[in-house]
Amino acid sequence: MRRFVLGQFTEAAACVEAVRKLREQGVPGLDAHSPRPMHGIDDALALPRSKVPIVALTGGVLGALGGYSLQWYLNSKAYPINVGSRPPHGFWTNIPITFESGVLIAVLSIFFGSIFVFFGLPRTYHPLFESERFRTACLDAYWISAETGDENAVPELEKKFREAGAHKVHTVVERI
Amino acid sequence: MAETAIALPPQLIPPPLIEGRQDDGTLNKSLNAYVWQPPQRGWLALFLIGLAGTGVLFSAIAITVARGIGMWGNNIPVGWAFGIINFVWWIGIGHAGTLISAILLLFQQKWRTSINRFAEAMTLFAVMQAGLFPILHTGRPWFAIYWLFPYPSTNSIWPQFKSPLMWDVFAVSTYFITSLLFWYLGLIPDLASLRDSSSSKRARIAYGIFALGWRGSARHWHHYKIAYLLLAGLATPLVLSVHTIVSWDFALSILPGWHTTIFPPYFVAGAVFSGFAMVMTLMIPARRYMKLKHVITARHLESMAKVMLLTGLIVFYGYLMEHFAAWYSGNVYEEHVFFSTRPRGPYAWAYFTQMFCNVVVPQMFWTRWARRNVWTLWIGSVLVNVGMWFERFNIVVTSLHQDFIPSNWAMYYPTWVDFSLLFGTICFFGTLFLVFLKFIPAVATSEVKELNHELHQGGGLSEVEGAHR
Repeated sequence: MRRFVLGQFTEAAACVEAVRKLREQGVPGLDAHSPRPMHGIDDALALPRSKVPIVALTGGVLGALGGYSLQWYLNSKAYPINVGSRPPHGFWTNIPITFESGVLIAVLSIFFGSIFVFFGLPRTYHPLFESERFRTACLDAYWISAETGDENAVPELEKKFREAGAHKVHTVVERI
Repeated sequence: MAETAIALPPQLIPPPLIEGRQDDGTLNKSLNAYVWQPPQRGWLALFLIGLAGTGVLFSAIAITVARGIGMWGNNIPVGWAFGIINFVWWIGIGHAGTLISAILLLFQQKWRTSINRFAEAMTLFAVMQAGLFPILHTGRPWFAIYWLFPYPSTNSIWPQFKSPLMWDVFAVSTYFITSLLFWYLGLIPDLASLRDSSSSKRARIAYGIFALGWRGSARHWHHYKIAYLLLAGLATPLVLSVHTIVSWDFALSILPGWHTTIFPPYFVAGAVFSGFAMVMTLMIPARRYMKLKHVITARHLESMAKVMLLTGLIVFYGYLMEHFAAWYSGNVYEEHVFFSTRPRGPYAWAYFTQMFCNVVVPQMFWTRWARRNVWTLWIGSVLVNVGMWFERFNIVVTSLHQDFIPSNWAMYYPTWVDFSLLFGTICFFGTLFLVFLKFIPAVATSEVKELNHELHQGGGLSEVEGAHR
């Protein structure tokens, strides 16, 4: 059963500082929660560069290649249409749809890649939602959390959170 | 060298982007207030009118599908009429949403933040209306899938990809999907804020489902910011490509009045022009009745009026160049369209309506008074919408009704089904918009919170600007 120690801040800057301090102390499973992106939090959590751009590029290139091949195959191999003796494979007239398919697949990869892979959503349950007070995380407060599987580590973590300046420190336990 | 501060005269200091002293809590309350309050009488009345109009739309669609497009007024030589005019008009309106949400984000225009959600919703609903017309125009929409999408049917017949009409299918469907996903990604944190500020269980579950379990995690925001920016970066060339391709539907033919190289930029500018006009038309009443004046201030309206003035001038330049090219070509058919049919033919009233609404009316936005007065802004924007509809009327109908051989000339008269479809889509659009205003925060809450924070932190000049950067 996972446990999450939670602590609240009223100022974003204090929240970012606390996260930095706790990470430097070696607290595992740290995360922060805020109603808007906090400046400097990526650095405080030492997050690696996001892979979303690579996903987007891959999707875009594959989409464009797919779009081009589709037009080439269908119009010059599968079902050639002779319009005024023009060649069945027209490079220039294939450009618009190649561009559109590249954009389409890039957009789909960004969106679904982010939701399913990078965010791990949609999910119907997360232990954090056990806490009624945590609801302010999407409204007007800044929260930090630390995940732990060890019940005995909780008091120590709560103490560290309080020392870092967090209010309303409490722990939630996964129910499912 | 010592820097000397220059004191600006008060009339040059722009109005604030967010009025009053706000914080996350007050913004949360004021931006979501409209969703939580019970529907007002005005909202209900408009909603009922919209539903009635939507009924008219679906009746007109039923008649068109059951009896065929002979119910429409178009016939040879005017084979494209209301169907295509309305398609281009609606899709053009949609473009402002993408311009505001994507292009202004890339240009770091902070005033976009309070109006982007609104404009993006407008895009989605406008593209839905636009999509109806070409589908209905195919005559038998249930067969259209065979020649519009590369669908592997047993006939082994495949679409002709060299046609601009096919490009249009791909461009518009990509545009719709991109706009929808971009809008939804921006919406997720706000849906989570609605879920968490809800007081009833029903609302909590409903918004909870659409929020997908968002918990504002920094690890998610980390990817979210990049994903949002990349979608904006992709939407920007996409929106330019969409209206360019729409203009190619015309420009790649040889019809005088359509066959010009100025069409793509002039169409894109026209689209943005009409789209901003529609945003303004909807936003001026909405910001008043929804009590959003503190985040959609005089500054936003003024900036939009400036964009309208700019794009209006580009459109005017397009008109001038069309006429110049027709004269300079020395081609009698081109000259006939631009110097006889349009200004002096039977549809001259449409031509002068277009010129008055699109060229004369926006010139008032040179004055600060007109840019700051909601009445001049609103009336101006409505007239621009009308003018842009007549521009497409002139392009489509006037060019077609007198082409090369006088024996082929004929007048075009729309039927009641044509008018019902136009009227019906306006009502359907309005209905969707009202539903949006009631159930979803019309202003991107998380982005405004971020902007508010930046404005207070960096005195309005922080190096990290714009939403989600």
